[in-house]
Amino acid sequence: MKAAPLPGDEIERLAALSEAALLDTPPEPAFDDLTRLAAAICRTPIALVSLIDRDRQWFKSRVGLDASETPREVAFCAHAILGEELFLVADAHEDDRFADNPLVTAAPNVRFYAGAPLATADGHNVGTLCVIDHGPRQLDDEQRNALMALARQVAAQIDLRRTNGRLAKVNGELVARAREAQVVIEQRKVVERIKNEFVSTVSHELRTPLTSIRGALGLLEGGVLGPLSEGAMELVQIARANTDRLVRLVTDILDLEKIEAGKLDLSPTHVDVRQLVSSLVDSLAPVAAEARVEVWADVRGDMEVVVDEDRIAQVLTNLMSNALKFSPSEERVELRVEAMAEGRVRFAVRDRGPGIAEADLARLFNRFEQLDGGGPRKKGGTGLGLAISKAIVEQHGGTIGVASKLGQGSTFWFEVPRRSVETRRNPEAGLGGSAYHR
Amino acid sequence: MAVSKVLLVDDEPHIRRIGELSLKGVGKWKVVLASSGYEALEAAARESPDVILLDVMMPGMDGQETLLELRAREATAAIPIIFMTAKVQKHEVDRYRELGAAGVIPKPFDPMSLPGQIVDILASYASPRP
Repeated sequence: MKAAPLPGDEIERLAALSEAALLDTPPEPAFDDLTRLAAAICRTPIALVSLIDRDRQWFKSRVGLDASETPREVAFCAHAILGEELFLVADAHEDDRFADNPLVTAAPNVRFYAGAPLATADGHNVGTLCVIDHGPRQLDDEQRNALMALARQVAAQIDLRRTNGRLAKVNGELVARAREAQVVIEQRKVVERIKNEFVSTVSHELRTPLTSIRGALGLLEGGVLGPLSEGAMELVQIARANTDRLVRLVTDILDLEKIEAGKLDLSPTHVDVRQLVSSLVDSLAPVAAEARVEVWADVRGDMEVVVDEDRIAQVLTNLMSNALKFSPSEERVELRVEAMAEGRVRFAVRDRGPGIAEADLARLFNRFEQLDGGGPRKKGGTGLGLAISKAIVEQHGGTIGVASKLGQGSTFWFEVPRRSVETRRNPEAGLGGSAYHR
Repeated sequence: MAVSKVLLVDDEPHIRRIGELSLKGVGKWKVVLASSGYEALEAAARESPDVILLDVMMPGMDGQETLLELRAREATAAIPIIFMTAKVQKHEVDRYRELGAAGVIPKPFDPMSLPGQIVDILASYASPRP
């Protein structure tokens, strides 16, 4: 007996067979239909779909045979997979290769064998579709062609299983990755929540001692505990002013964290712009008087807008305070409000201060950006005002910007739709705003 | 309604002192102090103040629980309550309103204008909600 040598592509062949995941699976109509057809057309008692594994041949489908596998050395099919054509053994008794093969000398008594290799799409013979008889036989042309055609069908089934196997594997990977991503998302949410709670708690913890400090200084400054010496009063005023600055910083930081987290909530209402501007100018009167700068406001037309009044006031206060800080004495700061086309309203604050270099204009609205020369930080600012103003304006659906030349002053402007179109960073349910008792 | 007596509730002794000086020295009102929600219930029933200034963050019974208790008792149900707190984010302020507070004064407050703020709040406050 002569065992078949291993084919040149044995490793890839076994891989393809494994990918099909057919070994040791139950019989299936898709294959059984084809073996029955083969047996009928070739008029043989036995027809098999045989898959050649490493050390055995295993039958996915069998007609007329009980055994489900045999060792590879005695397999006729192991020879059949070495070629591309039908492998024919007309009479095993007359063939040196098979005359003393146990499958010939004992059950199932193979005498006639015809095996068509099953070739995968990528050219590997994973097994055969074969027919077997107990006496010497021939097959006519029609039968041989039919056997090859049926073999092609079996091969197509095997390729289908391989594709399915590959798809299932990719799907499994995708599902695993989606789960990983979900875990990361959940972790990030936890971190975000901890961060927000931290900021909120720290802000509260800072405000508590600040309340006592601010209160004590305010009472002293207000003379509630009797007159102070001039020197003492000066110190108290310095301390109180800086406490106010600390409080503003804490508020600004909390504002900015809310903005970054997309949690700034707007409460738009109908606002009379003239009134808004008028209160603003009144509130700035002491600062303007001290800086000896005139505040000039011009509101064109009767203007009603729908915006968050407190937040827009915050932006205007920010821009106006900056302008007052930078304006030289005996000069004036101008606030103009006018209606633009397409239902927008433009606010512009102009000062005749030193102006800003073109190279610096882009950075202005970044947080904590302070231009050289001391500027707002030196004069009590937090460095966050413009960043917060930008966020507020943009959340109204508006735009903010600056025009300036060195030596010619600056104009800070912003435009908002008459009816604010709320544009959030992230759609999160929110926090934000001020005490409602006003 | 004119204010003549205020109950101030806060667990921080310094804030109670500052508040007392402000309400007495600037507001010219009588002041009763309480350092916890429990004390507040007892003091409010005993003293019948015209308004209660209530801290929110207190150990034991917090400000919101104290408000609910004050409202639940006949002796104190009609006294207007103003929260004084650093926690003034919009959703928190909405919650105070829902509970029936007359208003909120953020901390830190200006002791010179505190009495004025209280008068303003009470002026725009209608009858207390049940």
